[in-house]
Amino acid sequence: MREVGAKPWFRRSTWVFHLNSGSCNGCDIEVLNMFAPTQDVERLGVKLVGSPLHADVIVFTGPVTFQALPYVVRAFKAIPNPKAVVACGSCACGGGIWHDSYNVVGGIDALYEVMESLGMPKPPTVYVPGCPPKPEAMMYGVLLARGMVEQRQRREVFVEEPPQEGLEGLSVEGLEELVARAAKAVKGVRARR
Amino acid sequence: MSRLRVLIEGLSKDVVTEKYPYAPVEVPEGFRGKPVIDPSKCVGCGSCVNACPPNALSITDEGPYRVVRLFIGRCIFCGRCEEVCPFNAITLTREFELAVTDTADLVQEVKLVMARCAACGEPYAPLREVRKVAERLPDELRALAYLCPKCREVMASHYVSFARR
Repeated sequence: MREVGAKPWFRRSTWVFHLNSGSCNGCDIEVLNMFAPTQDVERLGVKLVGSPLHADVIVFTGPVTFQALPYVVRAFKAIPNPKAVVACGSCACGGGIWHDSYNVVGGIDALYEVMESLGMPKPPTVYVPGCPPKPEAMMYGVLLARGMVEQRQRREVFVEEPPQEGLEGLSVEGLEELVARAAKAVKGVRARR
Repeated sequence: MSRLRVLIEGLSKDVVTEKYPYAPVEVPEGFRGKPVIDPSKCVGCGSCVNACPPNALSITDEGPYRVVRLFIGRCIFCGRCEEVCPFNAITLTREFELAVTDTADLVQEVKLVMARCAACGEPYAPLREVRKVAERLPDELRALAYLCPKCREVMASHYVSFARR
């Protein structure tokens, strides 16, 4: 996977094919908003094309329903390499609200597993969470694939420091003794059994 | 005449297109962006996990830690977690530039130390949560908060059976 500041996936204009895999149309309306006058992503060389044969980037929406699966795979096959995918919305990123539903594959990572079984390699992917994401957030995703912006979101892990020995933070006097007595009683009952 | 008026109106207005990637964009009032857990406030009670519709939040016990895991890739930004959190530990910020090239970057984890039972020594609940519960209990029952549920049962039945002693 590409690191920040590394060689961008595309140097020139990116032509975008919008692929709906059974989305609720919320994300699709935002994709169209991206090309509307207020955001107008065409000023940056991103163009919406009607055929997968002309596209560099797939703007992918939806949790991949079983009905849509064969057509999605066909569209992925039709797009010439090198290609990239911008997975828009929570459904495409991780299955979203449908992640455990009976009639969906469940997001683009699950789709890649299906495609791997068909011998298709995994294309480089940008994930844009949101339900739906703002048009600006989608723009940010497309431009991240082009290397025009840097990734801001990072994994955050917080690990709490273990406290000192004993029951810390006790406000009542003699509580430690009470706890010890209770523990002793429990142990006594256990021993008698 | 009306066409002239439209022309004048069109010329008098400014450009509507944003300069977005080159200039920051204002998000509207009440915008629900990236959810963030404040690790200093979270007690690991799991009420947000119950409320989360797409199960973006999950809670697991991994050895001596209770892990609250937030996967933003599945979050639908509904704000239910913010509503139900009793300690206001989780909030939705105004941040929306969340695009990543790897889903591992969409995860936030908070690992909280578990309290160990005073009798059997097994970890049973986050220490912070136990302290909060102990604060609310009356003095004579406070010791029970430091026992795990099983030992507490034993203790309770012991008191019921041998109440006279």
